[in-house]
Amino acid sequence: MLNNRKVRLMSRLAMYEQNEGKEDVRLSKYFRTDYVRLNVLKTVVAVTLGYLLVLLLLIVYHSEYLIQEAVTLDYKGILLRYVGIYIIILVVYCSFAMIGYMLKYRASRKKLAKYFRMLRRLRSLYREEDGELMNVEEASVDYDRNDT
Amino acid sequence: MIVTILELRAHILRFLQKFQLIVEPVIKFVIAFVVFRSINNAIGAHELLMSLPAELLLSLLGTFVPPVILTLMAAGISLVHVYVASPLLAILVAILMVILYCFIARFSGKYGYVVLAVPVLFLLKIPYVVPLILGLIATPMTIIPVACGVIIYRMFVVISNAALVENTTAIEDILALYIDVIDQLVADKQMLITIAVFFVMILAMSLIRKLSIEYVFEISIAVGAIVCILSFLVADVMLDVGLNITEMVFGTVGSMLIAMVFQFFRLALDYTAVERVQFEDDDYYYYVKAVPKINLAVPERNVKKISANTEAGFREVTAEPEEENAYEPELSEEERYAMGEELEEGDSEEF
Repeated sequence: MLNNRKVRLMSRLAMYEQNEGKEDVRLSKYFRTDYVRLNVLKTVVAVTLGYLLVLLLLIVYHSEYLIQEAVTLDYKGILLRYVGIYIIILVVYCSFAMIGYMLKYRASRKKLAKYFRMLRRLRSLYREEDGELMNVEEASVDYDRNDT
Repeated sequence: MIVTILELRAHILRFLQKFQLIVEPVIKFVIAFVVFRSINNAIGAHELLMSLPAELLLSLLGTFVPPVILTLMAAGISLVHVYVASPLLAILVAILMVILYCFIARFSGKYGYVVLAVPVLFLLKIPYVVPLILGLIATPMTIIPVACGVIIYRMFVVISNAALVENTTAIEDILALYIDVIDQLVADKQMLITIAVFFVMILAMSLIRKLSIEYVFEISIAVGAIVCILSFLVADVMLDVGLNITEMVFGTVGSMLIAMVFQFFRLALDYTAVERVQFEDDDYYYYVKAVPKINLAVPERNVKKISANTEAGFREVTAEPEEENAYEPELSEEERYAMGEELEEGDSEEF
């Protein structure tokens, strides 16, 4: 016998899982700190790569001057200056990335929590359906653990 | 009059919902075709890529890939065109694209396709439609992909001008060309002003649309358009950026109309999304096609019946463009399934 309420609930669960839920479930595999750290790390890599490329463009742009003055340049001063700029950019980007990804993680957890509540409802539907607790029980125990 | 339009909308929606499997790919195909066509028109240099069969084939491919891949394809094709014209400039463009991605574009999130949409709409002379629509649906943060799109468009304008000039291979000339291009890019006032104006538009619109007044969305579109025209005019007079004013004004008006049409269908569009999901339990496999109910179909006879009711019915109809209210009963209907379960389970959470 088809249980209409169950089908409805499962459809809603499936719609969530197969669309926006995908990302949320992927996120839920990380602890918050791990997730934020990973993404800040990615930001560091991206900013470093971008900055190096900008430097490359700058060097080519000033190449004539650089070659002419190669002997008399104040290399230490130049190095300090560009490393300084790099550090400032990095700090700004990392702080914003940290805040942004934290907020994203939190939003995703909230959606996930609703999803788990629906799963619990599904479990109780199963219980209702045939008194005995089926394998679903074990599965949802796991979900509960994740939920908190 | 309004009722006729609303009925028409309901019919269109029902049609879209019914033939979603066909309509969606067709629309995607058309979008992909417009993208490749306008790129080829603007900077086309590679003979093979510019031929119609190649365009059609690419568009067909673009139909079945996610927007990210379509954006990458467009970037790749643009690079090939630039490469044919001038390999040096192609390298420069590639480096600039990577820099853009590292610093800005990777934060665009789900609005990544805007990066592609802005340059393409620039070519179609209606880039203003992007901030007008984003102002309606998104946060001011979406200036990130918008700015990216503007930069990419201006970059290609500068590059294609330079490519026309370039035809030498002597090393000094190449360096001079490179320096020239960088100078132009850095000093591009039009780019900065466009980004600034678009940002102000999105900001103003997203502030206005939070007000609780009637026709708030139409008003915010109008305000966005006015901000756009005025700011560009002021910028042009004060800074002399060499804008084509007539083109800008007509483009803005056109964009405004498009945004209005979009607004008219917007909420309704959410209801065309038919979902197909598969899952199983211990006894069955389920192949569920979940069709959102459309409550927009107003033509029901109830409008004509009693004079007192006519008033009420009509008011409900005209209230519709105003927003969510009209859809509220629909949502709660949907929701009631879940709620029903909850109440019986003694659990008052709502999904």
